[in-house]
Amino acid sequence: MDQGSTAAGEIAKPRRTAGRPRASESAHGSLATLLNLVRTGAATTRQELESQSELGRAVVADRLATLLRLGLIEEGELGPAIGGRAPRHVRFRPRMGMILVAVLDHSSLAVGVSDLSGGLLAEHHEAVELAGGPEPVVQRLATLFAWMLEEHGSAAGIWGVGLAVPGAVEKPDGQRLFAPALTAFQNWDGFPFVERLATAVGAPVWVRSGVQMMTMGELKSGSGIGLTDMIFVKLGRSIGAGVISEGALHRGAHGAAGMVGHTFIDGGTLEGAAGSDVLEREARLAAESGRSAYLAEVLERAGEVSVTDAGHGAQLGDAFCIDLLGRCGRAVGEVLAPLANLLNPSLIVLGGKVAETGDILLAAVREAVYRQAHPVVTRDLRILRSQMGGSAGLVGAAQVVAESLFDARFLQGWITLGSPREHPEFKEFLEQATVETSIRPARPRPPARMPG
Amino acid sequence: MAITGLGPHGERAVPADQVRVSDGDAEAARNRRFSVAVVLHTTASDWAKQELAGIVTTLGRYGAAVVEVVDCDFDIDRQVSELLRLASEPVEAVVSIPIGSSRAADAHRAIPAAGKKLLLLDNAPTGMLPGKDYVSVISTDNFGLGQIGAELLAPHVPQGGKIGVLAYGVDFFATHEREIAFRKWMAAHRPDLSLVRGKFADVSQAKAASAGLLQANPDLSGLFAVWDVPATGAVAAIRDAGKAIPVTTVDLGNDVAADLAGGGLIKGIAAQLPYDQGVAAGIATVLGLLERQPPPWIALPGFSVTASNVVEAYQVVWRAPAPTALLRARNPRTNMT
Repeated sequence: MDQGSTAAGEIAKPRRTAGRPRASESAHGSLATLLNLVRTGAATTRQELESQSELGRAVVADRLATLLRLGLIEEGELGPAIGGRAPRHVRFRPRMGMILVAVLDHSSLAVGVSDLSGGLLAEHHEAVELAGGPEPVVQRLATLFAWMLEEHGSAAGIWGVGLAVPGAVEKPDGQRLFAPALTAFQNWDGFPFVERLATAVGAPVWVRSGVQMMTMGELKSGSGIGLTDMIFVKLGRSIGAGVISEGALHRGAHGAAGMVGHTFIDGGTLEGAAGSDVLEREARLAAESGRSAYLAEVLERAGEVSVTDAGHGAQLGDAFCIDLLGRCGRAVGEVLAPLANLLNPSLIVLGGKVAETGDILLAAVREAVYRQAHPVVTRDLRILRSQMGGSAGLVGAAQVVAESLFDARFLQGWITLGSPREHPEFKEFLEQATVETSIRPARPRPPARMPG
Repeated sequence: MAITGLGPHGERAVPADQVRVSDGDAEAARNRRFSVAVVLHTTASDWAKQELAGIVTTLGRYGAAVVEVVDCDFDIDRQVSELLRLASEPVEAVVSIPIGSSRAADAHRAIPAAGKKLLLLDNAPTGMLPGKDYVSVISTDNFGLGQIGAELLAPHVPQGGKIGVLAYGVDFFATHEREIAFRKWMAAHRPDLSLVRGKFADVSQAKAASAGLLQANPDLSGLFAVWDVPATGAVAAIRDAGKAIPVTTVDLGNDVAADLAGGGLIKGIAAQLPYDQGVAAGIATVLGLLERQPPPWIALPGFSVTASNVVEAYQVVWRAPAPTALLRARNPRTNMT
């Protein structure tokens, strides 16, 4: 488990003592190695497992018997024989446990359920009113989770929860090792949101920023499949980026990497130039003054204008809408160009409701990046619009949990116990969280400041 | 009425009446003479007939021919095989209502894989994405329908009562959204009520599922069925049990409309406008075929029907005069003349 992860019930590095590993420790290690080889499909026969794990035949046979007994793997069909008995494949059982995921945003929440492969089985999105504070939200999540499990769950229960929140998620510090401070909703800091969720569900919770989860979703199921270096940019009310470098999500020293919306451009921030609130304000002014005939018609009909309306207007040829989204795209591209120079990604994906406005914004981003970044950087660089919409965060959250559950160090803590819910340090966390949520007032504290 | 639900991927709805074909695009579509196939769960229901009429009329207006209409008879396997067949037929777009979420996904993907446009009614199978796998989902606001069902039932249920939800036991986005919204509204506005759930996998089992729910919960004081056909099964089960429990549901079918008008157990209905939905689907199909990228989630609001407006609602939904039974109930004096 990476030290920087911010999970409720997330486990610190195992305390290794000097000298030779204990027998049980090495047994846990070989079990974890073999399970991950089978789970990822890297090796599925005994011969393949022996050669890839560099473990002896007897050890492999013994560990496979243990994994079979724990129900984590099962025997499958016979493979082709190569000069002897046909080898029997073993395969991972993804329905041994379920993963619940949730994405919180300023005006909506989404929930989903997946099996241990990380593929979504179902999802649901709804509008949410956050003015009532965190308590109704945590209750709503628990209700929706219960409903999802009734529809799609298995007897095995929940093995982990992935939670995406807007804004950066701090990595845990010494005092808050197991749960991050949720500064995303400023007046929520101090409310034990993650502890409440973990105790309600009885499973570890992994938390990341929304844009980091979306980045993982795009990498695993969207345009980024098979890539090792990409940038995902969420263009909404806030603007943030997720960076995949050499196959891994880059989170930074405090978990706040990717806050590109705060980059200064033309005397203000990028969010001040291209955030959806700003675009909507400009669109409304244009509608009221009559500068945009299309938006004036929308305002008269619907009483409000949105970024989506500006996108429709641009597609229908409205000059103001085309100019507005063109300016927005150029500002985004000018901020992304140095980022591309720095990181040399093979793909930049634009997501969020501003990105969904259409091709005019996309073309302006491309033009600015291709003009301002180094030719070597842009030689094979693709810049695309995400097709995943609000599902990206859910898919990414499921992937983050699946990877975290089977991270070698975390896995060693629970593998012989059959379920991550039995991980000793998670159980300890759960006990603390139960005490904490029962004695701690559910009253928000003033916000803490995020670095950056 | 406002659209309250979000799309299958969290999209904000674009109201159907805001999606239009420009004069230039209409001319371009007529010149291209597109061919379209329609795949429905059934062609027998009133809803399906109106939906199809809206699609066919609209496509005809823009020079597109509906060359085939497939009736899947609620059979997922049949839908899968028909979609795989259509993938190699000379049609340029397919309008389909997916039956079941996860199982239908691969068969639906065969349509865009064959270079054809796919338009979805009511729901998108899990994992399918707009722009990549399909053009748009065109749907009534199912979340709003569930809220209406709850609003209409609440006044008929006493304080501290117990409500049954007759749910569809198949992985289907539209009915899931109705149920989630119904539960959410009740939790927010009637926290005094408790909820129990009965499930049916086939509409023919709806009556038996309702009877089971009644038997297990003799103190049931209200019931919501996720659409009208199972609601008629629920009404029959309640009558068989010698009880009088208020029921609300979705879709203004003839049987539930007559029960509502006649002061029966049905107390309210959240209605859809299937013809208008068909029109929106036809427009989205034309736009998609012209590469105009219509919105991924095009929605129509549901509306609330009670005994007091059932005749007018019938005329709007079915585009026909209301049957005599409904008219008599509206004006009881006509019975005496």
